[in-house]
Amino acid sequence: MPKLIKNGEIVDNTYVWLKDSEQDVVANAIVPAKKWLDEQDQIGEVAGIWLDAGDGVESLQGIDLSQFAVIGIYFPVFVDGRGFSYARLLKERLNYQGEIRALGHFIPDQLGYLLRVGFNSFQFNEDVDLEKALALHKPFSVAYQGDTAEPKPMFLRR
Amino acid sequence: MYQYDDIDQQLVEERVAQYRDQTRRYLNKELSEEAFLPLRLQNGLYVQRHAPMLRIAIPYGMLSSVQLRTLADISQRYDRAYGHFSTRQNLQLNWPKLETVPDILAELAQVQMHAVQTSGNCIRNTTTDQYAGVIKDEIVDPRPYCELIRQWSTFHPEFAFLPRKFKIAVNATESADRAATQVHDIGLHIKKNEAGDIGFKVIVGGGLGRTPMVGVTITEFLPREDLLTYLDAILRVYNQQGRRDNKYKARIKILVKALGIDEFRQRVEAEWAHLRGKESTVPMSEFDRLSRFFTEPEYQVLEDQPNILTTKLAESAGFARWYQRNTFEHKKSGYRIVTLTLKKPGQAPGDATAEQMIKAADLADQYSFGELRVSHEQNLVLADVRQDELINVWEAAKEHGFATPTLGLLTDMICCPGGDFCNLANAKSIPIADQIQDTFNDLDYLYDLGDIDLNISGCMNACGHHHVGNIGILGVDKKGEEFYQISIGGASGHDASIGKILGPSFGQEQISDIIQKLMNVYVEHRTEEEKFIDTYRRIGITPFKEAAYAKAH
Repeated sequence: MPKLIKNGEIVDNTYVWLKDSEQDVVANAIVPAKKWLDEQDQIGEVAGIWLDAGDGVESLQGIDLSQFAVIGIYFPVFVDGRGFSYARLLKERLNYQGEIRALGHFIPDQLGYLLRVGFNSFQFNEDVDLEKALALHKPFSVAYQGDTAEPKPMFLRR
Repeated sequence: MYQYDDIDQQLVEERVAQYRDQTRRYLNKELSEEAFLPLRLQNGLYVQRHAPMLRIAIPYGMLSSVQLRTLADISQRYDRAYGHFSTRQNLQLNWPKLETVPDILAELAQVQMHAVQTSGNCIRNTTTDQYAGVIKDEIVDPRPYCELIRQWSTFHPEFAFLPRKFKIAVNATESADRAATQVHDIGLHIKKNEAGDIGFKVIVGGGLGRTPMVGVTITEFLPREDLLTYLDAILRVYNQQGRRDNKYKARIKILVKALGIDEFRQRVEAEWAHLRGKESTVPMSEFDRLSRFFTEPEYQVLEDQPNILTTKLAESAGFARWYQRNTFEHKKSGYRIVTLTLKKPGQAPGDATAEQMIKAADLADQYSFGELRVSHEQNLVLADVRQDELINVWEAAKEHGFATPTLGLLTDMICCPGGDFCNLANAKSIPIADQIQDTFNDLDYLYDLGDIDLNISGCMNACGHHHVGNIGILGVDKKGEEFYQISIGGASGHDASIGKILGPSFGQEQISDIIQKLMNVYVEHRTEEEKFIDTYRRIGITPFKEAAYAKAH
């Protein structure tokens, strides 16, 4: 079974990421958010949904996100940073408490920032040595800004 | 100036370790070229024409003599014993080896310096007025606010992969804007409202490059405690909605222009409504903490215009000329602000040799409480010189090549490194600066012409700020040959404007001749009190154009 990093550990990936909206939906699928929004009545229960870069989180407002075990955020290229804001908004604005999974073309060197904006699982597209990636998990032991783990900026803690 | 505590120090040291590991993995081929590129850029490392270029941050231009000596030392041991001070208060080393950069960063960290976010599509070094804290008409010292922004922007987890680079500049005086804030992604003007509260006028969407624009006001008065939540809101809108399909249309100015300021403001305010008053609201205690780093040095009680100064001014025309051009009024009587110009003929504008850096550090220790500043115009500043010691500073500055008494004049050019060093450049810029310096070498004539900003960029990226020069020179490539487009009428202060292109471009050898023709038009048309820019604004571009393109008889 393919592996991924979740909550700081290397674990089996038990979900099926439906990258293509034409693929058949299965119960443990992560389906495109647009597809789910359009067809939610027919789709039935799924593991979760995923946002493409450009989707934004506005379309998820008013939806009970607690029904999803996972929400994925896709990086078309690792320098496209929109997903960093999406994760933060999912957590802080839409109060989503479940797994936030990075999908696609992000790189291990981004893990520190990704963790701070609310991602807690990482499904790499490329062939990445997960052990080595884990070592890059937390490059800094202090931070000036507040983040999803510690909302208080350093100036409230100094 | 700001002093690191354990937290600040830990962060830069962890950054060195992180970058050292990234460099190691790149050299081992564990990290691809593509992945390493943005990582090294976020640490100020470009790969240039001949060698990598390392851009070291000098946050809001403040430099201690210890730091400047370290820079000199690093330039001697890792580079070719000189550095280039850029327009955004950074120091660039043109010849470091990629493998040695982690060691350079480790040495910088020892003196509380770094190269964090000096390049790449992230929030860059925050800049301000080089006279901050020592001028008369300042509303408040902008430096504590700059430090607040520095810390907020350093490793901000959400905004490290923006559509494009993001530059913030702060101004705190009504009378001048020496940081070109209106051509920044965000320009902040410190204000006091009627109740005496401190806040900011926020200007957004300015910038140079291919599509130069003067920024527009998004809010007239933002209370200072709301600064970071408001910046977060602007950046969050930009990060999600800025264009990513075309790097030339990716700056925030394009988004602001496309939406219109009203719609853009509405989106920012909608985002801000969620953030306002939350954890990132800055408490008074933090303003107090930061302000304590920028208290006044131990000034003596002194008279203005002491005898020794007035006597020497009367005796020496050279000293008087330098005093008039290169020194500036200080808020304390008996003191003066001195600019050490890095515009010596024969030396690229903004370049300083290691020897000059060491000498400038010595002068700072001897005459200015051990501190210096770096200016947008690519000069060094001694902010607190006693008037009775100016003659000594002048003698020493002359000896070491930074007393060229031309501050603000035609030959005090802003100039990028250009095609001699930079990969992006279409044309060389330093030889143009040399040519102008050679041609306009008569000080009396330069003084008669008065204040003129002449800015030179080697390409459209506009590192030399040619758009906002009263005269701007832009290097262009025409079928593999270097030509230069000249524009006039730009300005970077409170009256910021983008220059207009004169017409078809010129060959390298023609530049001084054309500048001379433009000066002739100015001299012919000016009224007594008019600067070049004023005359241009009154008479328009046509007379200049006619003179520049007139056929020789």
